[in-house]
Amino acid sequence: MPTVRIPGALRALTKNNADVSVDASTVRAALTALDRAHPGIAAKLLDGDKVKPFIRICVGPEDIGALQGLDTAVAAHDEISIIPAIAGG
Amino acid sequence: MIALVVGAGGLGGPLALGLGAAGLDVRIVDPDLVETSNLHRQIQFTAEHVGEPKATVLAAEVLRRGGRAKGYRMRWTAEDADDLSADCAVVVEGSDDPATKFAVADWAVAHEKPYVIAAALRYGGNALAGAPGSSCYRCLFEEPAPAATCATAGVLGPVVGAIGGLAAALAIGLARGDARYAGSIFVFDDLRRSHTPRVVRFERRADCPAHRKAS
Repeated sequence: MPTVRIPGALRALTKNNADVSVDASTVRAALTALDRAHPGIAAKLLDGDKVKPFIRICVGPEDIGALQGLDTAVAAHDEISIIPAIAGG
Repeated sequence: MIALVVGAGGLGGPLALGLGAAGLDVRIVDPDLVETSNLHRQIQFTAEHVGEPKATVLAAEVLRRGGRAKGYRMRWTAEDADDLSADCAVVVEGSDDPATKFAVADWAVAHEKPYVIAAALRYGGNALAGAPGSSCYRCLFEEPAPAATCATAGVLGPVVGAIGGLAAALAIGLARGDARYAGSIFVFDDLRRSHTPRVVRFERRADCPAHRKAS
């Protein structure tokens, strides 16, 4: 199953899990499955059908913006990562 | 060769010390005073510095180690940027303020300056490199997030050393004309688990307002 890597800023929503495996064949389905397992996380990432402007999502090293967006296909060993804008310094 | 460092805190410390030790003239901008609560992560300061301006104390530390630096106790703003930034070879942002990160990146795009935007929070962080022609911070993140900061969410002290060191290395490369990482962001999710960053190269966004304004 693909794995979603959860950034530190969102781990309070995943019971501190850094990686969550999901049964999904697209990024959209992966986020739906993630939200089913950890309710509320999708609302941190999406505005309706769009990724929030201060969040980027990658499959492996590729930004999904350069692929098929939320419809980007994911395979069993793919890693989906979430990159939020953070401000600490 | 001059480097401007915006922020003299957790990231600004290793940035300024690293850039100064590498031989760059460092200008350091920060409006804040040293507080006791800073000392676990801003290891360029000691308890004796509490109450003193961060920018000038950090500049003095660079000088003490044989480098060249000047500190400015002020907030970096786009309105005042040209005086401090126009002759710099590279601009590096390591402050705690999301709006300043966007302002520095937008200014750098408009003035065709190489730049690095760095951030750290809790156990991880990231550093983004940009150069003329590359995708930019606003291509990646379209607007400031309602983001937590180190002051509100905390940060593991050594994390800022790691991210600040990486940002300094990227800045030195850019100042020397090495733009191989321009348009890429280095991401550490959790330095307790992995010391290997993910490097994501991202495309220039066709509707990026920073690039549209610059052209």
